[in-house]
Amino acid sequence: MAERFSAFSFVDRITELEPGRRATGRFTVPAALPDFPSCLVAEAVGQLAAWAAMAYVEFRRLPVAGLAGKTAFFGTVKPGQRLDLEVEIESCDDEAVAYGGCARIDAVKVLEIAHCVGPMLPLEQFDAAEVLRARLRLLCDAGAPEGRFSGVARPQLTAIERGVGELHATLQVPPAAPFFADHFPRRPVFPGTLLLDSQIRLAQELATPLVPRELNDVKIRSFVAPGQLLQLHARMLPPAASAATVTMSALVDGKSISTARLELGSRDKS
Amino acid sequence: MANKEITQQDILAVYPTVAQVLADALGCDVERVKPNVSLIEDLDAESIDFLDLVFRLERAFKIKIPRGKIVEDARGDLPESDFEQQGYLTELGLARLRQFLSEVPPERFHSPMKTADIPRLFSPETFCKVVIRAQRAGSGSA
Repeated sequence: MAERFSAFSFVDRITELEPGRRATGRFTVPAALPDFPSCLVAEAVGQLAAWAAMAYVEFRRLPVAGLAGKTAFFGTVKPGQRLDLEVEIESCDDEAVAYGGCARIDAVKVLEIAHCVGPMLPLEQFDAAEVLRARLRLLCDAGAPEGRFSGVARPQLTAIERGVGELHATLQVPPAAPFFADHFPRRPVFPGTLLLDSQIRLAQELATPLVPRELNDVKIRSFVAPGQLLQLHARMLPPAASAATVTMSALVDGKSISTARLELGSRDKS
Repeated sequence: MANKEITQQDILAVYPTVAQVLADALGCDVERVKPNVSLIEDLDAESIDFLDLVFRLERAFKIKIPRGKIVEDARGDLPESDFEQQGYLTELGLARLRQFLSEVPPERFHSPMKTADIPRLFSPETFCKVVIRAQRAGSGSA
C-alpha cells in the first residue's frame, strides 16, 4: 500500500482558507512525470474544495464526486509547473457542497470548473478525521513536501468496438492500485476523475484529431469499486469539421454509473 | 406569504421551466415529463438526480431551496413522533402527507408507508410547489 498523501493527493499547500466559503492553494507537478492529465488538474481543484468543505463541517462529512456542470480546458499542464488553485464554495451543509474554481499557471487560467456539487457522506466510513485534521494543519502551516506524486497508471481501454459515430470499450478497474491508499483508506473507490479521464480518452479517439475544450453535465451516480468491469460508450452528435460533441456514458452490469457530454475543438484554437 | 395557498395558475406559471430543468437533469426529452409522473418510478430518478434538480432549480429561478424541506413542511407543526415512528409514517402522518402532496394521485400512497419511500411520490408538480414556496419565502424576507 502506498504511503498516505502521496499517490492521489493534489494540494501541497493551502495559502488561504475560509471554511465553507473559499480557499486558495497550490500543487507542484513533479518534474519527473511524463505528463499530467487535465482530469488531475480538476481533481486538484476538487480536493481544495473538499478541504474547505470538510473543515466547515468539522470533519463529520466528506464530499465525494457527484455533479460537475462545466469544466473548461484552456491549456495543458507540464511536469515541473506549479498549479495555483482557487475555489469558491457556493453552499455547504451535511448533505452537499456546491462549488466552483480554477487552476492557474503563472497567472494564466488552465482549467475552470463551475456548478459542481459533491454529496457529503459520513467521513468516518471513508477516512479518519484526526488524520485529515492533522493534514489540514500541515497544509495550512508549512505545507506538505512537494514531489511525492509519482504518477497514475491509467487503466487501459480494451475490447474497443467502432460503430457509426460511436465507440465502445471495456475498462477494467485494477483490483489494487497506489491511489486507493488516498481514495479512500477505509473504503477504496475508483476516483471519478480517473473514470472521466478514460471516458475522455475514448471520446477523443472517436473525434480525432480534435481535442477536449469543455466537459459538461458530468453526473456520477455510484461508486466504482476496485476490480469492477465497466462498459464505456462514446457517441458523437452531429459531426462537424472543426468541432464535435460526444456524449459519454459508463455502465456496470448494464446500470448507468456516469454520464457526461464533451465538447471538442481543433488543436490550434486556444 | 409562504403559506398562502398555491393555485393551479401559480403552478402553470413555473411549470414549463421546471419541466425543462427536470428534463435537463434527468437527460430525457421534455415530452416525457408530465405533471404527475413519479420522478423515481416513471423517470428513473435517483438521489443524485434530486440533488442535481435542486441546484438547477436554484439557478434557473434564482432562489434558495432549503434542504429536506418537503418532508419538514409536510409534517408542519405535528410533533415528529406523531408524524413517524420507527421509520414508518403514522396514520396522522400519512394524512398530513396526502394533504401536503395533493398533486400526487391517491393510489400512490400506501399504508403502512416508510418515510424513506416518500421521495417515490415526488412529481414535477411537487417541485413546482417547492419553487413557488421558495420564491415566496425569498420575497418575504427581502
